[in-house]
This record gives sequence, structure tokens and C-alpha cells, in this order.
Amino acid sequence: MRAGLFGGLFIALCCASLLVGVQQMAWSQVFSLSGDAWLTLTASRLPRLAALILTGVGLSVCGVILQHIVRNKFVEPATSGGLDAAKLGILVALTTVPTTGNLGRMLFALAFCFVASLIFVAIVRRIRFKNTVLVPVIGLMYGGVLSAIAEFYAYRNNILQSMQGWLLGDFSKIVQGNYEIIYLILPIVVVTYLYAHRFTVLGMGEGMATSLGLNYPATVALGLMLVAVTVAATVITVGAIPFVGLVIPNLVAMYYGDNLGRTLPVVALGGASLLLACDILGRLLIHPFEVPIGLTAGGVGGVLFLMLIFWRNR
Amino acid sequence: MMSALTARVPRHAVWVLVLALATAFLFVRSGFDFGYVIPKRMARLAAMLIGGVCIAWSSIAFQTITGNRILTPAIMGYEAIYLLLQSLLILFMGTQSLVVLGANGNFFLSVLLMLGYSWVIHRWLFRDGRNNVYLLLLLGLVLTMVIGTFTQFVQLKVSPGEFSILLGFSQASFGRAEPGQLLTSAIVVAAVCLAGVKTLPTLDVLSLGRDQAISLGVDYQRTVRLYLALIAVLVAVSTSLLGPTAFMGIFVANMTYALARTFRHRITLPIGCAIAVGMFILAQLAVEHVFNYRTTVGILVNLVCGVWFLALMLRTRGTA
Repeated sequence: MRAGLFGGLFIALCCASLLVGVQQMAWSQVFSLSGDAWLTLTASRLPRLAALILTGVGLSVCGVILQHIVRNKFVEPATSGGLDAAKLGILVALTTVPTTGNLGRMLFALAFCFVASLIFVAIVRRIRFKNTVLVPVIGLMYGGVLSAIAEFYAYRNNILQSMQGWLLGDFSKIVQGNYEIIYLILPIVVVTYLYAHRFTVLGMGEGMATSLGLNYPATVALGLMLVAVTVAATVITVGAIPFVGLVIPNLVAMYYGDNLGRTLPVVALGGASLLLACDILGRLLIHPFEVPIGLTAGGVGGVLFLMLIFWRNR
Repeated sequence: MMSALTARVPRHAVWVLVLALATAFLFVRSGFDFGYVIPKRMARLAAMLIGGVCIAWSSIAFQTITGNRILTPAIMGYEAIYLLLQSLLILFMGTQSLVVLGANGNFFLSVLLMLGYSWVIHRWLFRDGRNNVYLLLLLGLVLTMVIGTFTQFVQLKVSPGEFSILLGFSQASFGRAEPGQLLTSAIVVAAVCLAGVKTLPTLDVLSLGRDQAISLGVDYQRTVRLYLALIAVLVAVSTSLLGPTAFMGIFVANMTYALARTFRHRITLPIGCAIAVGMFILAQLAVEHVFNYRTTVGILVNLVCGVWFLALMLRTRGTA
């Protein structure tokens, strides 16, 4: 029953996302498969919808994996330094090998994000007394230091202003031909689903996981790699979007528990729906212009996060 | 008595060091140009002095009344509130707001707003005396991020000229204050410090903890209210004078505790001021002569203090 409701909501959001836009579409043209309206639909609206859904799914799945690895409900790429590391990676790629294309930049972002996540996991393991809110605090500070390094670097190369612009999550520049990297998220989600049970066991802690026969270091490395690929792909194509990977898994876990094999589809659907809603909101707020999704998702997600902190600590 | 004696050595040493730094800052590569270069540098030095005093006082006093060594007003959202006010002013009134209000009007509006925020924190933080420091810290950080996105949204809507003004507000620098504003700030800070000095012994008692302070006869609620108000004014002065300084306060406060080896505020507060001013001069010297203006004071301070804060969190291993 509830699943049906979610599905319906998701489909309604997809339709709304296709219909909202500056360019008016005449449906007669759409059905004749030619003309301006058809072009708008295939070159801009559909790619945007695909990118939105994939990003939402990818980011929320990322959040789940990280939360199981670190065993903390308040961790996601934005609160563990992953996003900032990816930005730093792109920056380094831009200044050292300016001729490289999107793929090269993504590899840089991937490497930086993976290493930064490894360091973060190592730091968290060093802390013996684990306080639920201490871990994200350390993650935020860690991200702050990484982005200070990025700023230091960008200021020296006079690209601070443009960096702030292109790293803010924004779907308005998604058109046919420049967003296809985002499809990398599809295999990632499939792999995550195949390994869902292992990640669930991972969330029970190192001792328990090892005695259940899991190769702990390898599974952690695999999880971090999946996260790094997803973060790198989204940062390259749309920019940074905070809080999605945090809010959705928490809301889902409240109703459905922590068995990833069962909850993963709900998490994915929820992430996509949240992004779609934020995107539609951003497109309507100052119509005919649009607010970048980094801002709407940051605002909506941040407020939801604050409410979550209150609920969890009641 | 003994502790006072051992503390006296670093206290003077620190001030001598600051004086030396200040002299270096004034005269290095100035060509002894008393007509233009030196007066300009004097104004910047005055801004650093006032800002440093504000940051040291507000951070140390805030840490004493909240009873921990990690929170500072800056990360508790005071600076985010200031930036929000500036964005809203520009959004609704445009650049005329700067003309209509003037530097002082804007300043007093900020003070009012921060007093209001202090009142909220007071209602909420000191309601039952029991609080989870990390929870507050997380709330502060997330609140800062949310207000940050809202500020960015406002920046998106305003024109490029207004945007550059707003950008000026959101970056730390020493050169923005005019002599008139410096004078106002100096008077305000002096008044706050005078009001604070009288109650320093009470603050010492407060650092023993809420229950001990109450049983020793301190009017806890009243003192905390007074100090939160003073802190709000100090933060307003430093933010409008220098811009946001984020982690600077934590660094200054913890350095002070390490150097002073005592928690008596009569000793820690002056040392804290010296450290803050010294840090600012060092950062400015580094920007001018080492990095040749290819970085900013704000970035340097964030980098150094951020790394240091991370190390502090790791060393205490979450047992604080």
C-alpha cells in the first residue's frame, strides 16, 4: 500500500518535472515526433529527468553505504569530506592538466575522494569514545580543512570565483551530449544491490562482520570505491548537492529498519523523489530563471537534517 | 601566589612579542613614509587590536559559561546571522541601505540582532543546565550551512554590483574599517570590557560549573545573561569590523589555556588578547610579504586553525 503511494508520488513528480520549463511545449508536436517541442523534450527535458533520478538514487545509496561503513547515521559525502575532496581533485586536474576532458577530471575527483574517504574512516576508527554527533562534527571540520586547501589553491590561480559557480549543484546546463557520464551510477547501484547483504553485515561492526565470515577490509574498500565513483560522477556533471544522502536513509530507516536488501529500493526512490521535488521548486521560485539545486537541496535538506537531529536526541 | 608568578613570565613575553610584531608590521618595507603608508598601517593595526580583543574575550568567556573548550560564538551561528542580515538588507533595500543606515546604523542593527540571538541561545541552551556539547556544535555547523545556502540564494538574486559589496562582507580583512567606525568600535569595546572587568571574579567562579557556582552564592542566571549580552556585542563588533573569522576563536582560547596554565580570567583574558592580535599581525605579514597578496587572511586563518582544531578533536579523542 505504502509502496504504491511512493511509486505514484514518484511518477507524478517525473511528469511535473517534464512539464515545468520556460519553453512552452505544444503536445501536438510531441506526438508527431518532430518540431520544437519534440526537440525540447528529447534534448533537454528527458536528459534532465534522467540526470535528476540517477543523481538522487546515487547520492542516497552513497549515504547508506557510508553510514554502514562508519556505523553512524549522520554521515554522508557532505559530512565526511568526500564532496570537498572531489572538488579539490577537479581543481588540481584543471590547473595541472588543463587539456584533459571530463573523463580525466572525473578520474582525479575519484582518486581524491577515495583517498579522503579512506583517511576519514581511519580517523573515525582512531576515536575510541564514539559519540553519535562527534563523528559528523569531525567530518564537517575535515571537509572545512579540505575546502580551505582548495580555496588557498584556487585563490593563487585566480579561479576562486568560477570555482564557486561551477561546483554548485545545478541541472540547468544538462542537455543531450554533456551529461552521459552520470550513467556510471547505474552499474554502481546494481553492484550495491548485489552486495546489499554484505553492507548490512558491515553495519554490525568489525568483530561481528569478521566472525560472520566477511572480508572486512575488502568490503570497506569496495564500499568506499562505490561512493567515490558516484560522488565523482555527480560532481563532474551537476556539481555538489549536500544532505540528500543523509536525510533519505534516515527517514527510511525510521520506518523500515536497516536491512539493506529490503530498504535499498525505497532509499533509491526516496532520493530521486527528493531531488525531483527540490528541482521543481528551484525552477518555480524565480520563474523564468531558476535557483540552482545545490541551494534548494541545501536548504530543504538542511532543515530536514536539523529536525532529524532533534528527533534522534529526544 | 606561585601560579601567578609562573604565569607572569609568558604573559609579558607574549606582549613583548606582539609589540615586536606590530613594529615590524608598521615599518617593514614602509620606506618610513609617514604621510601615507604608516597612517594606513596604523588604521589596520587598530582594527586588528580591536578585533583581536573582541575575539579573545568573547571566545574565552563563552567557553567558561558553557563549560567546554570547543564551542565559540563564531561556530554557534553568530557570524551566519550577521551575514544573513547583510544579505537581507541588500536584497530588500538595495545599496541604499548602506547610505540610509550608515556604517554606525548598520552596526547597531547587527548588535540588536545578535542580542536577540543570544536571548534565543540563552532560553534554549541554559534551560536546564544539562547540555550535549557536540549536539550543539553539530546544530551550529548545520545552521551555519543552511543560512549559508540562503545567503547564496540572496546573492544570486542581487545585481553584480551589490554582489561584490556582499562578497566584501563575507571575507575577513583588516582594511575595510573607516576611522569613524574604528572609533565607535573602540568606545563600545572599552565600555564592554569595563563592564566585564568588574565581574571577572564571578566568571572565575562560574568556570567551576553551574552547581558549584550556585552553591557558592553566584546569581547564575543573571551572570550568564549579562555575559551572553556582552559576548553578543563583542561578536557584532568583530564581525562588522573584520568579517567572519570562524575557527580563530577556538585556536586563541586553547592556546591561551596552554600558555597561561591557569583558568583565572584576570590572567587568561589579556594573554588571549595578545595571542589573537599576534595571530592577526602574523597572518597579515604572511599575506603581504610571503604570499605577496596571492592569498587572503581569511583563507590562511581557516587553514591553520581548522587543521589545529581537527588535531585537538583527535587528541582529546572525544572524551571532552
